[in-house]
Amino acid sequence: MATNSASNLFHVGRSLLRGLSSSSSGMLRSPQETTFNSFLAQQVRTFIQMRTNLKVVDNSGAKRVMCIQALKGKKGARLGDTIVASVKEAQPGGKVKKGQVVCGVVVRAAMPKGCSDGSEVKFDDNSVVLVNKQGEPIGTRVFGPVPHELRKKKHVKILSLAQHMA
Amino acid sequence: MRLEKCWFCSSTVYPGHGIQFVRNDAKIFRFCRSKCHKNFKMKRNPRKVKWTKAYRRLHGKDMTQDATFEFERKRNRPERYDRNLTENTLKAIKTIDKVRSRREETHHKNRMKGKAAKERKEARKEHDQQIHMLVAPGAQDKHLSATKVTVKVQHESNDENRMEE
Repeated sequence: MATNSASNLFHVGRSLLRGLSSSSSGMLRSPQETTFNSFLAQQVRTFIQMRTNLKVVDNSGAKRVMCIQALKGKKGARLGDTIVASVKEAQPGGKVKKGQVVCGVVVRAAMPKGCSDGSEVKFDDNSVVLVNKQGEPIGTRVFGPVPHELRKKKHVKILSLAQHMA
Repeated sequence: MRLEKCWFCSSTVYPGHGIQFVRNDAKIFRFCRSKCHKNFKMKRNPRKVKWTKAYRRLHGKDMTQDATFEFERKRNRPERYDRNLTENTLKAIKTIDKVRSRREETHHKNRMKGKAAKERKEARKEHDQQIHMLVAPGAQDKHLSATKVTVKVQHESNDENRMEE
């Protein structure tokens, strides 16, 4: 975990620098990096920070959401953390509208999350479930797999709505 | 605690090792080490990568069907803890392992059965065809070259012929 955090620090430092130079610091891959990398698509998997786009995987009405603030965590949010986000894309007749500021729980993160037994889990994309201030989900369904780690964070309601548990 | 199998190389993943990747269709890929993980990211097919168990089983290098494999089937129902059962299981694991390795050895031996004869035949064929490349065994003997053989050369009397020219 020490080496993991050290490499993450390096990656976050690099991404922050890129953020200072270019407008979108939330983009995981800059054109500079693609020329260095081969077709192997070795992406830098980092925290979910300001300007990170996340997919919404419930039926609250929002489609895409951009992180404004990661509550708890200096470097950013990880799997199971809550974030404050702004709705960028929404379905026409949903509970949330575009431009609204909402809270969400990160249910899938591309960055590997260390388990207490030493292994690591990672998902395919960054996804979020919209939630109100008390932590209850706004939507009534959750799509896709959800990690076990949510139980420890007391997001039991989301787990009960989920189809698969990773 | 559960011992998983690596998706790429089929080796056992012990707790604390490896990475688990969950795809959005909820399929879980477990990898024993970053080598397998990186090969997966490269989208390589384990059935085509020579050092994986999948390749070896597919190409008949390793045993495919055996009674000893039945003992390692995945069981989803947890067993109630019983000390005798645990003890017997541990003993059984040892003997099953021994039996399996013995059977794998015979499988390997059967696979390599005609190899020595085939190699000898090929060596003989090469020897017959390329004999001119070899030096004769007696040609380099020291004691033969040591004896000097003196040959008397007979000179013709050419005095008369020389005068005429």
